[in-house]
Amino acid sequence: MSAPRSADLLARRVIACVGAGGVGKTTLAAAIGLGAARRGRRALVLTIDPARRLADALGVGTLGPEPQPIARELLGRLGVPPEGELFAMMLDMKRTFDELVTRFAPDPKARERILANRIYQHVSDALAGSAEYSAMEKVYEMSARPEFDLVVLDTPPSAHALDFLEAPERLIGMLDSRLVQRLLHPAMSAGRLGLRLFQRGAHQAFSLVERITGFGFLEDVSEFLLAFEGMSEGFRRRAEAVRRLLFGPDTAFVLAAAASGESVAHARDLLSRLEAHGAQVVGVVANRVRAWPDGAPPLPGAGERDAWRAELESAFAQQHGDAFPARLAAAAALDVLDGYAAAVTRDAEATAPLLAEASLRGCFVRRIPELPRDVHDLDGLAGIERRFFDDAQEQP
Amino acid sequence: MLETRGEGLRPLLARRLVVVTGKGGTGKTTVAAALGLAAAARGRRVLVVETGRDENLPRLLGHRGGLVGHAGVRTPSGPWVMRIEPYEALAEYLHLQLRVPGLVTRVLKQPGFRGLLDAAPGWRELVTLGKVWHLEQARDADRPRFDWLVVDAPATGHGLTFLDVPRVVVSAIRSGPLRRHARWVEELVRDPERTLLLPVALAEELPARETAELVARLRGQVGVALDRVVVNAMQPAPFPPELPDLDERLRALPRAPGPAPRTWAACAAHLASRHELNRRFADEIGTDTGLPTVELPLLAGGVRGPDDLARLASVLLPGDEP
Repeated sequence: MSAPRSADLLARRVIACVGAGGVGKTTLAAAIGLGAARRGRRALVLTIDPARRLADALGVGTLGPEPQPIARELLGRLGVPPEGELFAMMLDMKRTFDELVTRFAPDPKARERILANRIYQHVSDALAGSAEYSAMEKVYEMSARPEFDLVVLDTPPSAHALDFLEAPERLIGMLDSRLVQRLLHPAMSAGRLGLRLFQRGAHQAFSLVERITGFGFLEDVSEFLLAFEGMSEGFRRRAEAVRRLLFGPDTAFVLAAAASGESVAHARDLLSRLEAHGAQVVGVVANRVRAWPDGAPPLPGAGERDAWRAELESAFAQQHGDAFPARLAAAAALDVLDGYAAAVTRDAEATAPLLAEASLRGCFVRRIPELPRDVHDLDGLAGIERRFFDDAQEQP
Repeated sequence: MLETRGEGLRPLLARRLVVVTGKGGTGKTTVAAALGLAAAARGRRVLVVETGRDENLPRLLGHRGGLVGHAGVRTPSGPWVMRIEPYEALAEYLHLQLRVPGLVTRVLKQPGFRGLLDAAPGWRELVTLGKVWHLEQARDADRPRFDWLVVDAPATGHGLTFLDVPRVVVSAIRSGPLRRHARWVEELVRDPERTLLLPVALAEELPARETAELVARLRGQVGVALDRVVVNAMQPAPFPPELPDLDERLRALPRAPGPAPRTWAACAAHLASRHELNRRFADEIGTDTGLPTVELPLLAGGVRGPDDLARLASVLLPGDEP
C-alpha cells in the first residue's frame, strides 16, 4: 500500500475536520479550503464559528448562511490559479431546525402545530443533536451544488464529538420506537401476546413518567411527536442520504487534536469510533505542537549547563560591556531554553501515541507547530496550508 | 508578571457550591481539581464532581486504581471525587420519589424507554444538577456532609447550557413533583449566597470571544452569580523586566554555547510573543466581561499531579483567604 497523501483528499466531495472543541478545527478547515483552491479546485468552507480576524483578513467579515466568495485579488496573492475558487459560509446552528420543520412538514397546519408546541419551543435547539443534524443537512445540500468541487466542513463543537454523525439515526430510531408509537396511537389495540406484554411495559413506563411530571406533560410530548410523525418519511429519506454521503467514498475525515494528554485520549477514542462507523479517516493532525526550531531540543547535563551559563555570561559581557547585567541575562536565557525544551518534550510525548496509532491505521499524520501568534492573517493561514499539504515533511 | 486582580472579592470558600465552566480544552477539570485540593488542605470536607463522559479528576488528585464513577472515592490528597452518571442518578431519583423499586427497575430496563431517553434532551443535565442539589443538602448527624462542593460542569456548547435546564423544565412542565424539584434546583443555582459560577477561559482570540458571550448569556438568562473569570495557561513573562529585548540580544551574539544564537533567540522570541498574545486577550476578557481576571500560569511541563495543582491552587485560593 502506498503512503496516503494529503493531496488525495482533493478527489473527495466532502472533507470533514473533526476533533474536540478548541483544537483549531476552524483554522484547519480554512487552510484545507485554501489548499484545494491553490490546486485549482472550487472549494467551499462551511464553518460554525469563524475567527473574526481571520474572516476579516479573508475579506468576509460578516459571513452569512449563503456561500460568500473570497475576492479574486486576495486569491491571486495567495497563489490560487484562475480556475481555483474559495467560498466561505457560516452555519446558523440555531435557526436550522425550524427550517427542517418547514421543509418536511406535510402542510402549513402541521408546521404551525409543531412550531407552536410547548415542548418544541423549549427543546428544539437541544433535541437529540438536532443542531448537529441540521449542520449535516447543510453539508449535503452544499455538496450537491454544481458550483463547488468540494466542501470542507468545520464540524460543530459537540460535547460528544460523534453526536453530529449519530443524530439522524437517533432521531429516527426514537420516532420508530414502539413506545413512541404507543404514545401516538393509544387506540392501537392488542391482538398477539407479545404486543399485549409490550403494552403492559409501555403502560408502566407512561404511568411512571406521569407520576413524576404530573398531568399534561405526556400530552404535550405526544402532540409534539404526532405533529412530527407526518414529517418522518421525508426526514428519514433525507437522513439516509446524508449518512450515505458521510460514510461513503465521497467523504474523507481529518482528525485534529491538541498537544495534551486529554485531547490525545479523546482523539484516539474518536478515531476508533469513526472507523467503527465506517468513516474514512484519511489524515490526523497534531495541532499547535511546540516544536524545536532546528532538530531536537538539547538536554545539557548539570556540568554542561554551568559551562553554558558561564560562556553566555562572558559573551554578553564582551558584547555589551560591564554595565550590562550579563549574569542575569545568561541565567534568564538558560531558563528560556529549559522552559521551551520542556514544553517541546511534553508535546512530543503527549502526541506520540496518537500519531503512531494513526500511522498504523494508514492515515497520513501532520504536526503543525504552534505559531507565536494567533492565525489571523493570510500569511499565517498560508503557512498552515503549506505545512498540511507538504507530504515530504512528515515521515512517521 | 502575572497578576491576580481578584483582591477584595468574596472568598470562594464562602459559598457552598462552585460550578466551574468554560469551553472544551480550557482546563476546567484542572481548575476544579486545584480548588478541591486547596480546600482539603485547609481542612474542609470537599467534594469535587465530574460530569463529562471521561474520568480525569481522580487521577489528577492522586487516586490510583480503577474508575471511580458514580460511587465516588476519597482521594489520597484529601477531596472526595465522583463522576455523576446520569442513568444512575435518574434511577436513584425515581427510587427515592416513587418508592416502588420493582417498577422503576423494570421500566429503566425497557429498551424502548432507554431509546426514548437517549433521544430526549435536557434530562441528563437536570438529574446531574439534581444530584448535586441532593449532595449539597446531605447531612451527617448535625452537620452538612460536605463543607464545599466543586462541580466540573460539561463543556458549554450550543443549545441549552447546563445551568439553564432547571429553568427550562419549570417552564415546559405544568405540574407534578419534577417541576417542584426543578424549581428547588433552580433556586440553588440562582442563590448568590450559596452558588458561584466560575468560568475558565484561555487568553486567545476565539476562547476570549466565547467567554464574553458565555458570561453575557449566563448573566441574562440564567441569573447565576459570577464575580471573576479564571484565565488559564498564561505564558509567564519569559524575560526579567530589565531585559525586555533578551531575544534580540541573543540573536546578536557572535557565538553561543550549545544551540546556535538564532536557536536561543527563536525560543525566547516564541515565548515572548505567546506572553504578549496571552496578556492582550486576558485584558480583553476582563474588559469584555467587566469582571476581574484571575490568571493561572502555563506550566511548561503540563499539569501532572498534586504538586502542579498546588501551584495553581495558590493563585485560586490565596494563602490569606480564610
